[in-house]
Amino acid sequence: MDDFENFRLSMRQMLRGMGIGHIEACANGNAAIQSCTYEQFDIVLCDYNLGAGKNGQHILEELRHRKLLRRTALFIMVTAETSKEMVMGAREYQPDGYLTKPINQASLSQRLGALLQQRAVLLPINREMDLDNLPKAISLCTQMLPQQPRYRTWILKTLSDLYYQVGDYSHARKICEDVLQSRELSWARLGLGRILIAEQRYAEAIDALHTLIEKQPDMVEAYDHLARAQSLAGKQGTAQRTLEQAATLSPNAILRQKQLAMLAGSNQDMDTACEAWRRTVQLGHYSIHDHPDHYLGLGRSLCDLSEDDSSDEGRGRADEALRALALVRKRFPDSAGVPEVSRLIEARVHQGQKRTSEASAIINSFLESEEGNAPDTELELARSLFAMDRRDEAWQRLMALSQRCEGNEAVQSDIEALLDEPVSFRQKLQARRLTRQGIQAFENRDLDNAATSFSEALKLVPAHPALNLNLIQVRLRQIDQGADRQPLIRECRQCLAQLESLPERHKQYRRFQSLKRKVEGLS
Amino acid sequence: MTDADQPDQGTKPSPDFAMVMASAVHDMKNSLGMLLHSLDELRDELSPDGAQSPRFNTLRYEAERVHSDLVQLLGLYRLDQSNLSAHVEEHFVPDYLEAQLARHVPLLDGRGISYEITADPISGFFDADLLSGVLNDTLNNAIRYTDKRIRMGSREENGYLVIQVADDGKGYPASMLSTSPGTSAPIDFDSGSTRLGLYFADAVARLHQEGERTGFVRLFNGGPLGGGVFEIHLP
Repeated sequence: MDDFENFRLSMRQMLRGMGIGHIEACANGNAAIQSCTYEQFDIVLCDYNLGAGKNGQHILEELRHRKLLRRTALFIMVTAETSKEMVMGAREYQPDGYLTKPINQASLSQRLGALLQQRAVLLPINREMDLDNLPKAISLCTQMLPQQPRYRTWILKTLSDLYYQVGDYSHARKICEDVLQSRELSWARLGLGRILIAEQRYAEAIDALHTLIEKQPDMVEAYDHLARAQSLAGKQGTAQRTLEQAATLSPNAILRQKQLAMLAGSNQDMDTACEAWRRTVQLGHYSIHDHPDHYLGLGRSLCDLSEDDSSDEGRGRADEALRALALVRKRFPDSAGVPEVSRLIEARVHQGQKRTSEASAIINSFLESEEGNAPDTELELARSLFAMDRRDEAWQRLMALSQRCEGNEAVQSDIEALLDEPVSFRQKLQARRLTRQGIQAFENRDLDNAATSFSEALKLVPAHPALNLNLIQVRLRQIDQGADRQPLIRECRQCLAQLESLPERHKQYRRFQSLKRKVEGLS
Repeated sequence: MTDADQPDQGTKPSPDFAMVMASAVHDMKNSLGMLLHSLDELRDELSPDGAQSPRFNTLRYEAERVHSDLVQLLGLYRLDQSNLSAHVEEHFVPDYLEAQLARHVPLLDGRGISYEITADPISGFFDADLLSGVLNDTLNNAIRYTDKRIRMGSREENGYLVIQVADDGKGYPASMLSTSPGTSAPIDFDSGSTRLGLYFADAVARLHQEGERTGFVRLFNGGPLGGGVFEIHLP
């Protein structure tokens, strides 16, 4: 595959000269993928830079993802580039080899010869892996390891990865540790980090990956794993910063941008989330990983940012959101739930720009024709109803959804989050800041200020379970210290009343029960 | 080299300008890659007389020289930005050396130079891309200054992997042998010769570290073919 006809011709000549019989040449990515769909090639030589449209990395991704390329076949990336972004991006999808232009007959036949020889030797292992027969592949690796010193690294890497895939983490780890005993090699350190994450030894994983990044600050996969370890260890903020570093080093990896967008979104860092969604959508254009969720994510984050913002910037963001939502319907017309969810977000965008009639029109026409909504659609509808101040309808729908989706943890926790804070993200942010101040004051035994902060926060999110319980706790402490009981007890009762319908599975439920008993004991 | 910790005092080019330079160099390098490719194709189309002509060989040699200079410039730029680190992996040395030499086969044949590889069948640990930059330049140099023969070799010595490029030419001038590579300025404007290649080789060698040991470069005359010898020692 090369977009230059000259190059295709001379490549064909050189390959003929090597005695290769069946050769097919393509000028662009789509033709190449098409041709791999109908024929199984042994060797794919693909130029990285194919002009407009798909690049070599997109092709590699798509061939591997759609399993159009067997493991036993060779994918060789031809490149004139040493540009960092490209090398970083491509490294994650691992071609079997690189060829750097300029290429002549001698260098092509040397390189292909060496790769074909390697393929022949490792064929039995790769064949078992193609058949998903991993235990067999493992035993072949162990057999070949002492016999093939030339391919030692390949076999060790593959063996460790196979152990990892079958869930035998201790053997996988042992290989990496043994290699690291004699020499600091980045693949082994990276592998070790990945295995420690799987073993849920997050602190050690974070250590290993920090060591690696210190030595090799441009190794971008290390940041991805580090972010995952940090996130699993509950350090969401740190994880986001790690991913931001990785995205700066290598901005063209779509899955990384998506990861960053989701993490920043859950950290309420809407600016970062929005920018990352924007890039995810952009990068999806030629990628097999393109997905409606990216457009919806962009729409939601722009909707959050533009809410109640009538400045030029706010209007611009609202317009961009509407464009993204229209685009997703055009690109994925048959994807389940996409037309509905995108319309519901649209309604919220209009509402945020005080275009109430547009918003109501969308919602009402949706309600007229709805039938058997998927849970995600129902959640989106509730969000929009809350935004339009149709709280009772939203509440009823969520209750019904909760009953319908008994046992679906993901949906239940989404419902919970929405009920806890059914407000715009700006108000959420403000409530969280006040909550932090309150906790700080409480820890410093400054009970008056703690109570003030929690009460302020409750004005924004009156039904928030943790906040109500925090305020009760402060009041109880004040009563202990001899404050005037009656007004404080009254306030505690009001807080408890807010939580009357708290479901048993809510994570604050037990705390609610115990504080409720204490308040009742006082009266 | 600019010191990354030192604030810009206005005497050095601003970072933006450095970036413009780097991307221009990148572009030139790619163009030269195309040029070299066309030259090799052209050689195949020419009559044997034309393909062996000294002028054609000079054209090929000079283009390759500029190309490898640019590759090294980019490497040094990245080193200066401190985002160049050695990606050390294990490689089977004979295969690797063969691949390096293969690139120069058209010019070697064009100049009627015989070449051989005497590599012990061992694996070594190094950054293949960085070392390619070094060996390309060294080989191109050797092709220019040798008489009839070039030999690439590798061996293990005191726990270091040693890669050697030897020729049967007149050898390195005394001025190059007397100074150690890393310590002097890379460019000697008086003599008009750039020592970029050597400077780069030394930088790459020193990026390879293992425990207390660090890579280094040696130049000397004599050796197996009686000409110049370039050696890079990697821990």
